[in-house]
Amino acid sequence: MRGGLAALRMLLQIAFRDLFASRVKTLIVGGIILFGAVLVVVGSSLVDTVDAGMRASIQGSLAGHVQVYDARSRDPLALYGSMMGDPDLTPFPDFARVKAAIATVPGVRQVVPMGLGTALVSPGNLFDVAVARLRADVRARAAGRGGPELEARYQAHQAHVRRMATLLRDDLLQATAILDASRESAERARNAEDLARATSSGFWEELDRHPLSSLEFLENRIAPLALEGTLIVIRYVGTDLEQFRKAFDRMEIVEGRLPPPGERGLLVGKLYAEEYLKLRAARRLDQLQEAITLHHRKIAGDEELARWVKEAGGQTRELLMQLDPLQAAEAARRLGRALGTGEDDLGKLLAQLFALDDRNFSARYRIFYDELAPLLQLYPFKVGDAVTVQGAARSGYMKSVNLKVWGLVQFKGLEKSGFAGVMSVMDLASFRELYGWLGPKELAEIRGLKAAAGAKELSREEAEATLFGGETSKEHPEAGAPGHPLPLSREAREGQGGGADLAPSDPDQGVALNAAVILDDPRRIPAAMRQIEAAGTRAGLHLKAVTWQEAAGMVGQFVTLARLVLYVAVLIIFAVALVIINNALVMATLQRVTEIGTMRAIGAQRRFIWAMVLVESVAVGVAFGLAGSALGAGVVWLIRAAGGIPAGSDRMYFFFSGPSLLPRLGAGSLAISLGIVLLVSVVSGLYPALIATRVTPLEAMRSED
Amino acid sequence: MVESIVSVRDVTKVYQLGKTEVRALSGVSLDVARGEFLSIAGPSGSGKTTLLNLIGCVDTPTSGTVAVAGEDTARLSERALTELRLRRIGFIFQSFNLVPVLSVEQNVEFPLLLQGGLSGRERRARVGDLLARVGLASHARHRPSELSGGQRQRVAVARALVTRPALVLADEPTANLDSQTGGQVVDLMKEMNRRDGTTFIFSTHDARVMSHASAVVRIADGRIASEREAPPREVATGAGS
Repeated sequence: MRGGLAALRMLLQIAFRDLFASRVKTLIVGGIILFGAVLVVVGSSLVDTVDAGMRASIQGSLAGHVQVYDARSRDPLALYGSMMGDPDLTPFPDFARVKAAIATVPGVRQVVPMGLGTALVSPGNLFDVAVARLRADVRARAAGRGGPELEARYQAHQAHVRRMATLLRDDLLQATAILDASRESAERARNAEDLARATSSGFWEELDRHPLSSLEFLENRIAPLALEGTLIVIRYVGTDLEQFRKAFDRMEIVEGRLPPPGERGLLVGKLYAEEYLKLRAARRLDQLQEAITLHHRKIAGDEELARWVKEAGGQTRELLMQLDPLQAAEAARRLGRALGTGEDDLGKLLAQLFALDDRNFSARYRIFYDELAPLLQLYPFKVGDAVTVQGAARSGYMKSVNLKVWGLVQFKGLEKSGFAGVMSVMDLASFRELYGWLGPKELAEIRGLKAAAGAKELSREEAEATLFGGETSKEHPEAGAPGHPLPLSREAREGQGGGADLAPSDPDQGVALNAAVILDDPRRIPAAMRQIEAAGTRAGLHLKAVTWQEAAGMVGQFVTLARLVLYVAVLIIFAVALVIINNALVMATLQRVTEIGTMRAIGAQRRFIWAMVLVESVAVGVAFGLAGSALGAGVVWLIRAAGGIPAGSDRMYFFFSGPSLLPRLGAGSLAISLGIVLLVSVVSGLYPALIATRVTPLEAMRSED
Repeated sequence: MVESIVSVRDVTKVYQLGKTEVRALSGVSLDVARGEFLSIAGPSGSGKTTLLNLIGCVDTPTSGTVAVAGEDTARLSERALTELRLRRIGFIFQSFNLVPVLSVEQNVEFPLLLQGGLSGRERRARVGDLLARVGLASHARHRPSELSGGQRQRVAVARALVTRPALVLADEPTANLDSQTGGQVVDLMKEMNRRDGTTFIFSTHDARVMSHASAVVRIADGRIASEREAPPREVATGAGS
């Protein structure tokens, strides 16, 4: 092929000079390609960065490199839940076997057992706290430490408890009016009776005479009724806390500490505490504060902020409930002074406090936190408190455990995510208990209880059915009644008899729903996934390995969605480009009929003409594609230099995995951009090239005159 | 007729123009010997361009045969015909038909690049030599648009000859030139014919151009009106001096 290179050079020269000769056409076509290339580079850099950020956040906080669950599960794993609630997963009855199988795969660093679920927490110590205060007063009086001050406090505390009981009674009456009372009527009637008693003046006179029995009545009969109304859904991951901490470096204990090894306990999601537990008026003030100071938003004209202002002011009943008459008087005094009015009605003062606008907000925010907050309990429970967590066990029955709150936890990058940031963490044993699986210690305990109570043994088959088939649970209809913490329910005692053979110290021995696998080298994820599934098959297990993105469910799909939107936009732009380039080249070809005919007459084969038109089209594509990619890279660089794209909202904060998005330019983005541009320019040149090859040498012979 | 480079046998060419048939050529036979400097003469629409197109392998006859350099063009594929044009035939067009975006030397080099096989140095030598012979060595880097009509046609002559073809076809090569420039171009062609023995067939209706021919074939209404008559003498002496 001597001269082939020279021929190519000439083709290029013809192409470029031609392009230069028809500048306007070239600039229009090139402009579109340029814009497309910029969009591809910038867009895919942004999406890639979001992808990488979310991957790092989710892998580093919950998913690990690979998630493994039972392939026979009815639903796919969804770490952060899905629209349909918790996925229905087939459990691994003996996690140690799963771990052993996965450990045979080379490059596996850690296998962390997990069990995800939702439960209900009954923070409900408002009533308990009030009764406890009363009890302290009673004790003080009994000890003879009298005095007018104690007496006043005692009266105030009595009034507080009584008012709460009255509220509970009103709630119950309301519920009875709405609901068909035929079912549960016996229990309801008993509750109504109790509440009637607790609100009667006779009862409170009785309190003075026989304080201890009266307090007991309040704690045992009335407090549980208060719990029921305030159940809040909590999402948790039950795991071995030590292994979890090692595996997930994104976990941060923002308050408190990790439960010591062997201890049970709960780490409450920080955002969960803020969003669901905190006194709502305080939460709204926090949100307003952040929006105004961080995002420079204004209450005036901002619908969302105006709504928050309204909601903050609308929560004063919740706030008033917390205060006994003495505290209420103190609060009124403080507010009156801070607001500088002579008003002494707390309700009116609060209304005044929450009449927020852009001018008074920061002062009012300070008044709330400096004056009012010290008198209030902002969260229903503090680190160190115990909470009751109730969940539906696998069998469908309610189970509950009392857990100490050891701390507040958050995951870096997911702090503000409504999906991922509300996750709480609990120890594996508590999860197993909620799930309805018991370890050897509990089983021994239960055997003792059963022996004492003379409980009937169920056959093993029945136990299986009871444990794993929610629909066959007719045998114990009463056990599922929600309410105050139940002792270990009966069906759970029957299950998992095999657990008794296991060493109680090994947290891996027992049930788990899924496993997070940490690899030495994250690049090996696809290979590791195949090997894990193969190892499962060899071990007689049905392991399904998924990536963080699949495991994260809807959250993981966001990136895919963003990518899809980008690709659709790119597709549209390049489809338009394709049509325009095609048109322009067809026109150009028709104008060059004589030239092409001459070349054909002189001896140019059709493929030469074909190549000539394509080279021209590709030359435009490559030249402007390169320029566009460079420009796109420049835009990415500029965004970085300017400090990134700030996250304007909590949702953005989550997708950006932090307060701002610093896009990174990937070689992939550039390659994709150039690839698409090349493809488009080749495809758009095909039809004009075909037309050009149809030009016959005869065209050269036609003279103009 | 062993020496004939072109052999046209009983050729008819019919064009379809809408519903009417146009008989451009009917029953034309012609042999051209190597080294001839043949003029095809006739009024517009007489069929001389059609005859040149058939000889130049850019068109095929409706009936009859056309053989160029011993090859029956009816038996060749489109690709082989292109190859034949590239290797054996040079073209000079009425409107010069240079590639506007290429320089003078690139235009001349173009057929050599299509042929391939020559090194860059060989190509440059050949192109330089030809440009010197047509008197445009100093214009090698110019674009066609920077040249006069006569200069452009001389570039076209150089391009037609650069592959050293056996046959050069020129359809009305002087029609777009004034008579003096046209005369110079014909002189150039004549010189190439004498020096290299390249066969030239050109059409014209200009008697002064015709006078340079070694023979004139007159064509009228798609038929050969007179074969091999002598060129018009009075003009021949005038232009030949």
